[in-house]
This record gives sequence, structure tokens and C-alpha cells, in this order.
Amino acid sequence: MIRLEHIRRAYVSDEVETIALADINLDVDSGEFLAIMGPSGCGKSTLLNTLGTVDRPSSGRYWFDNNDLAIRDEAALARFRAETLGFVFQSFNLIDELTIEENVELGLAYRRDGRADRRRRVAEAMDRVGISHRARHYPNQLSGGQQQRAAIARAIVGDPKLILADEPTGNLDTENGLQVMEILGSLNAEGATIVMVTHSPSHADMARRRIDMLDGRIVASVARAI
Amino acid sequence: MNGFSLVSLYRSLVRHKLYAVLNIGGLAVGIAVFLVLGLYVRFETGYEEWLPHHDEIFLVQTEYTSMGSTFSGAFPNTMGGLLDQLREDFPGVLGTRVDAEAFNVVHSGIGIQEKGALVDPSFFDVFDLPMVSGDGAVALDDPSSVLIDQPLAQKYFGGADPVGQTLNLTVRGKTKAYRIGGVFKSLPKATEFNFEILTALPKTVDEPFWYHWGSTSLFTYLRFGTPGQAQAFAARLPGFVDRRAAKDMGPNASRMMKLNLLPITADHLSPQGGQADSTRQVVVTMGVVGVVTLLIALVNYINLATARSGLRAREVAMRKVLGANRAALVRQFIGEAILLVALSALISLALAELSLPMVNAAIGLSLSIPYDMVVPALAALAIVVGIGAGLYPAVLLSRFPAASVLASARSPGGGRSGARVRELLVIFQFALAIAFIVGTIVLSAQTAHMRDADLGFDREGLIVVRSLVETDTGQRQSMLAAFRALPMVRAVTVADNNAGGSDNNNANSVPIPGKPGDGPSLRQIMVGPNFFGTYGAHLVAGRLFDDAHGADDFSKRTKGGTVNIVINRRAVGVLGFSSPAAAIGKTVGSGKYLYFHIVGVVDDMRFFSPRSTMDPTYYLYQPQLDDYAVATLRYSGSRQAAMDAVKRAWLQIAPQIPFDAATADQRLADLYKSDDHAVNLFTIGALLAVLIGCVGLWGLASFNTSRRVKEIGIRKTLGASSSDIVTLLVGQFLRPVLIANLVAWPLAWVALRKWLAGFDDPVALSPLYFLAASLLALVIATLTVSVQSLRAARSTPAWALRHE
Repeated sequence: MIRLEHIRRAYVSDEVETIALADINLDVDSGEFLAIMGPSGCGKSTLLNTLGTVDRPSSGRYWFDNNDLAIRDEAALARFRAETLGFVFQSFNLIDELTIEENVELGLAYRRDGRADRRRRVAEAMDRVGISHRARHYPNQLSGGQQQRAAIARAIVGDPKLILADEPTGNLDTENGLQVMEILGSLNAEGATIVMVTHSPSHADMARRRIDMLDGRIVASVARAI
Repeated sequence: MNGFSLVSLYRSLVRHKLYAVLNIGGLAVGIAVFLVLGLYVRFETGYEEWLPHHDEIFLVQTEYTSMGSTFSGAFPNTMGGLLDQLREDFPGVLGTRVDAEAFNVVHSGIGIQEKGALVDPSFFDVFDLPMVSGDGAVALDDPSSVLIDQPLAQKYFGGADPVGQTLNLTVRGKTKAYRIGGVFKSLPKATEFNFEILTALPKTVDEPFWYHWGSTSLFTYLRFGTPGQAQAFAARLPGFVDRRAAKDMGPNASRMMKLNLLPITADHLSPQGGQADSTRQVVVTMGVVGVVTLLIALVNYINLATARSGLRAREVAMRKVLGANRAALVRQFIGEAILLVALSALISLALAELSLPMVNAAIGLSLSIPYDMVVPALAALAIVVGIGAGLYPAVLLSRFPAASVLASARSPGGGRSGARVRELLVIFQFALAIAFIVGTIVLSAQTAHMRDADLGFDREGLIVVRSLVETDTGQRQSMLAAFRALPMVRAVTVADNNAGGSDNNNANSVPIPGKPGDGPSLRQIMVGPNFFGTYGAHLVAGRLFDDAHGADDFSKRTKGGTVNIVINRRAVGVLGFSSPAAAIGKTVGSGKYLYFHIVGVVDDMRFFSPRSTMDPTYYLYQPQLDDYAVATLRYSGSRQAAMDAVKRAWLQIAPQIPFDAATADQRLADLYKSDDHAVNLFTIGALLAVLIGCVGLWGLASFNTSRRVKEIGIRKTLGASSSDIVTLLVGQFLRPVLIANLVAWPLAWVALRKWLAGFDDPVALSPLYFLAASLLALVIATLTVSVQSLRAARSTPAWALRHE
């Protein structure tokens, strides 16, 4: 489904060039659950952002279902994100001024889905993660675990082909972390493709494959025996 | 505030340059507008305050109270002999008359017109006019001496002391040598007095109207020890009027005419007669514009300051961790605010100084900043506004528990309620700004309307020669013949009133036969041959005057006889006729004076200020007009050539009489000048208010956008396009601007209706003015906000997501 070829990402500021991604070659198959590990600053999040098209590579090619995304314009990428991707962040990134329900619905609104369709999907997604009873609440009225479940509901509400999770359990306690991992695991079991950045080896072990990064390169790729 | 606070304040200003410029600059512009308009208001309300004991001096007003009279209302002048009668009835009353008129200084055989006044020898008992040399009171006791002001002393005598020297003066038609008895300081600008030469009124005055009650010819001033004494004196005046005026006005004269004591300082802003209260209205309007602009700027400043302070929560928390207590933090915030407002005030002084020359040019004054008054006022402003703007964030921020602020990823911005307060303030600002825009549009429309309105005559190509009044009959005949002989002159006429008005105002009650009472009061204008032709008046019904009809000639009248008149359109209804045609052939008036046979109706000819009502008028015809004959010429071709030719003709026939002429356009422009000035000033104030409003919106938008960078990142990650983001951000600001319209419209409507009521011929308050203003405000607001929204919308989401 995904093929990254010689992806390079460099940040230039005041004549200092910082290389976040050196030369990334990576294939992700449909239905895969891939964990990315590595120390802080190794380029995990940049890689995830590149996959999510919220950051553009300096060079290289990004094939998604045989379409080269590196050459698409901003508007096309926004549409791509709304239709194809789901994001889960470490700090949840819910919008404070919107209710949980509205947060979940937001991506569908940007896809210009019909209202009735949106309602149905939002209800299903919130049900799926067990957050329906907090639909009219604001994010700051929820616990961290609930907020992250709401964020997952937002990520899956549009039936994305690919879910990108950036340390989804990083701000959660053990129990809530496990709950989130269970939801991701069952989503994967139902066929969703997931790419997850994590610091937790045990959570990484729940993925089918794990790559390790160091200084902007992939240094190891380990598939878990099923 | 300690040194670190100052350093971090300075660095924060330098780092956020734009914010600093908007915040400090916006407030500075607001204060500057307030300052300049405040100076104007102070000037207009400070008339005669230069006079020592001005609070003891009163002007005697004549107020005509008869209903339906053209001239009802209070006038600043009185009967000439009033003071003599007051002195007889109230021995010891302190007063003087001032009869302002042009004096001719005959210098090297040429007459030069100067502004003079005839006053009582008691003038100096009332007015402590500051003298440079000589003794004023002594000089006025001598009928052959005069007092002149400094510029005239310089003009006619150079550097030498003129006291004791002589000046050839023509006063009331008699030329003789006057001894200079003293020199007084030239009058300041803030005065209704307008004289450069003073001489004594003759002991006995031989004028038919001098003791005629109901007439007005000069100014009478009285001085009292206390306001209470003045009040007690005023209470005795109705009895005095009844007693004295009975011979001219019948019993109970005080029911038709009152004498009022007006404090001399109130004279300038008091309307005359039936005129609208326009000067005071303009002054009040300017004061309101100034206060409102300052208010907008202050709201702006407080809004921006509090919004931004939310972003400093982390700094505050860190200071607390390092040991600052709440009081120290509150002091720091308030200190910073006072410092910034003081800086704005300083800049505003510079801005006011820089703009004053332009403002002075726009309104025809010479205002300057009285620093001894302004600096303490600004210091007080800095402290009050500083505390106001600093207190809210100081208390709010210093209350946050340090640990939670430091632990949280987000900066507290006052939350939803803070956002609501800011939105309310934006609504408030824009409501005022939109009301100002509507005001500017309507004011301009009204001035344009006055300029283009049909005045009932052809205003282009007319020269009014006022100095013809000063000539004798022989000179006048040859002068008019000389004018007619000029190649560019196409028509010449004389009349006792003309475009731009004159000093000669006559009204008469015209009884309507078959109806009780004296009838309505009509303006009377005496005209010579070809008056209507020269002016290009529009005949509506009947015919104009001509010599073929003997009854047209007013000079051939007999008491109780009939004379033909032409009336204007406004008089048709007033006299009770249904249409102009219906008035033709009818007779009004009474046998007590004259019967008037109406032979023609012309369109209303607007000779006077657009603010005074169009009077119902009748015209009388005199082929050889003698009294108050002012010439009007219609010319073709270049104005300058015509004016030069007329002046040459004048100098050949009457060189000793100063030539006083102007085109009708110029004379009308003088009448419109004060309104033009008001519109100019209002427009400047309104533009700046709108500008400051935009600065506020810009600052708030930039603050808001920077607070929402992360949210924008989230939205883009979820698939929002750039245009979605721009729509979101712009829409957020258009809402308060749209709501502001609902506030602005009724506000502007009420204010403008009141303002337009001051005009005799106002423009209609079309909804289009309101829509145009709202549209303009929306466009300005959209442009203001969209620049930043576009930039925010274009940022890469990954960068935005990292943004805290």
C-alpha cells in the first residue's frame, strides 16, 4: 500500500542543516500493524508526519496505492488526509472549544460528507471506543484516557485506510494505555492498517512488525511471528 | 518593578515589534485625536475668557417672541438708545455700547477699509481691554481721538509710537483727522469682537431708529458685580420694556419682545434668531468624536494588553517559582502598563504637534498645545489607563497556580469568557467606527448637496459690489453706468439684499384681508431694475417688475394706497394661497400702511446660510434705489478679468471709498465655511477612529491566530484546506463586525437626523448610506484579518502541531 523511496528530510535554519530523515526506504502493506521505535530525536515523528503528509520530504518519493504523493499540491493533500488517514497523537490534540462529538465529526465535515451520514458515523465511532456518554462534554472535562479514546474515535470515524498513531499511550497510565492498545489491536484485526510510534517495548510487541530508527535511518526491522 | 522587569519588558517589545507598534501606536493616535479635538472644543468654548472679569459682563439680547415671525428668536443686538433709557431708569448701571462698522482710513489719497467700532466713553468701565500705550478711557472721552490696535499702529506708523499723531478717518460718511489716543493689544482669535479702531459714539445721535423699540442696531453690554446682581437686574427688565416700549409696540410689549442678559462667554455658541443651534452642535459633535476615538483606542489597548498577557502566564509562573509574590507581580504588570501608556502619550504629543498645522489649515484656526495643562492631564491619563489595563491581567495571571501553568501545554487566555469579552469590545469599537463612517458619508452628501443645490438663481458669473452702499447718489449713477459699459458685463442691478446676505434685514407683517390679526411676517427686499433678470431667477407665475406699470414703482406709493409686489414660492402658502397661480392678482396688506397687489411669483432665492430657514419674502421695486443699494453684476468670461475691470471703474469714480466686492460664489462659500470645516474635522476624526479600530482588529486577529496555530494544525491534519482555515478565521471576526452594524445603525440614524434637522434643505437619510458604510467596514475588516489568516492557513501542519 505504501512505498517510501529514498525519503530525505532536512531542516535548514541559520546555515545549520539538521537532517531528520536521511535515506528512508520503507514498504507498508495493507492490513499491517507497524511499530516505530528509537530514541528521542531519531526521526520517528518526522517519518510519521511524512506518512501523514503533514510534513513534506526534502527529496524522495512517496507512493500511496501507486500514487506519487510527493508531487501533489496542498489542496489535494488536504483532501487525501480527510479521505484516507486517521491520526492519533500523544497529547490527544482535541480542540478545546468543540465538544467531543464535534471533535469527532470535524474530519467528516472537511470531507463534505452529508449531515445524516456524519451523525451515524460519529455515533458508531464513539460507541466503538466507549465514549458515547461524554458526547456533549468538552475535552477538558474528560480524563486523559477518555480524551485519547475520543481522539481514536476521531481517527477511525472516516474509515481511513491508514491510522497514524504518534505515541498514543505516552500521556496515559498503564491501564488506560492498555485499553488504547487493545482498541488499536482490534481495529487492526478488523483490517485497518496502523503505523504507530512508541517508546514502550511492550506496546511495540503488540504490533506485527517493528522498525528501529537511529539518526534518521532505519537500523532494524523485526517481524513478530504470529 | 525591578531591573529585570524593565529589561524583559523592553525585550518583549522589541521581540514583538508589530504588537508593540500596534498597541502603543494605536493608543497614541487615539490620544492625539482626542487632544486635537479637545483643543478645538476648548477654543470654541473659551470665547471672551481672555477678558479680565469676563464672568461679570453680559450681552443684552433682544428676543422677539411673536409667533410666526420671520425674525422670532433671540438676537445679540439691541436698539441703539437702549443704554440711555436703562441709565435713566436704573441709575448707576454700568454699561457700554459697541457699534461695529467699517471705517475708512484715507491714506495717500486712497481709502482703505479697516474694522472699527463706535463705543461709549464708559467702554473701559466694562471691558478691561489690555492697552500697550496711552490711556483708553481718557481717549474715549475725546470725540476727536481714536484707539488703534498694534497691527494698525505698525501698518500706518511703523515702529514709532503713534500716540499723539493723527489719522484721516471716514466714520459714518464724515472724514476728519483723528488723534491717536492709545494703542491696544490686538484681539485674540477666541472673541466675537472684531475691531481694530475704537472711537467714541457721538453724544447725540441723529438716527430715526435710535429710540425706536423693535429695532436692533448695535451691541449693548452691561457689567455687574456678581451673577446674583445680574439676575436681579434681569428680573426687572420686563417691567422696563412694558414701560418704555409702549409708545412703539403698544401695551404689554414684553409679551412680544424681551431683553435677556447673556453671559458674554456664552455669546459665541448661541444661535441668532431662528438659526439652528449649529455652532454648538458642531462643537459638541467634535467633542463626542474626540472622546469616542479615545475610548476606542483605550478599549483597543486594554483588549490587546489583556489578550497578550495570557501568553505570559508561563513567565509569571516562573517568576512565582523564583520567589515573586502576588503583590510584586501586580506591581510589575501595572507598572508596565503605566509605562507603555506614558510612552503612547508622549508619542501622541508629537503626533498632535505634527498634525496641528494641517488641522489648522482645514478648520481655519491657529490652535496650539498648552503644555502646562496637557502634560499633567496626560500623566493622569497614563496612571488611570495603566491601572485599568494592567489590573485585570495582573490579578488574573498572578492568581494562577504556578505548578499547573508550568505543567500545562497550553497558555491560559482567559478562556471562553475572556474571548467573549474581547468579542464584545470588538463589537463596541466597530459599532462606533461604522457609525462614524455613516456620519462621514452623510455629512459629505449634505455639503455636496448644499453646494450643488438649486439656489433659485444662477450663482455662477455674479459679482456683488457691496461698497456701492457707501457712495452718494451722483457717484452711484456714474458707477452703475460705468459698470454697464464694461464689455464683459451683461447685466447690472441693485438691491438692498443680495447673494450671501447683507446687513440689511427687514421684515414686515402682512395682514391678510378677511383674517384677524397682523398676518404673517415676511421678509422685504427692495430691488432695482432688472434684478430678477440679472440673478437668473425662475418666474413661476405672473410677471416680473417693469417700468411700464406705474403701480410697480414703490417710490410712487401713497399711504394706504396699493403697490405691486413679487413674492417667492414660500410666501404663497404662508399668505394662504393654494398655488402660485392662485396668488396672482390678489391683494394683501392693509390700509394702515399699504396694500400689496401680487403680480408675480418667483422660485425661492437662497441668499443666506443653508442653515437658516428660507423666509417667505416679498420684493418691492424702486427704479432709483437709494437706501442700502448693493450692486450685482452678471459677467461673462474670466472672473479675474471681470473683477479687475470692475475695480478699475471703481477707483476712477470713488477712490476714497474702499472697494468691497466678491463673487456670489465666494460670498456663499463663506456661509458654508463653518460647515465645511466641521465636515473636514469630522472626516479626519472618523477616519482615524476607523483606523484605530482596524489596528485593534488586526492586533486581536494576530493574537488569536497565534493562539490558534495548533488548532489550525489539527484541523489541517484532519483534512481542512487552506480556504477552510481562512473562512474559519475571517468568519470569526466578521461576526462581531456584522453585529456591530445592528448597534451602529440606530445610533447613526438618531444622531444624523438631529444634525440634518439644522439645515433648511437636508438630504434624505437613505438606507444606502448605511449599507455603504457597513459594506466598507466589512471589506476593511476582512482585509485586515485575512492577511494573517492566509499566513496561518499556509503553514505546514507538522510545524503547527509542534507549536505551543
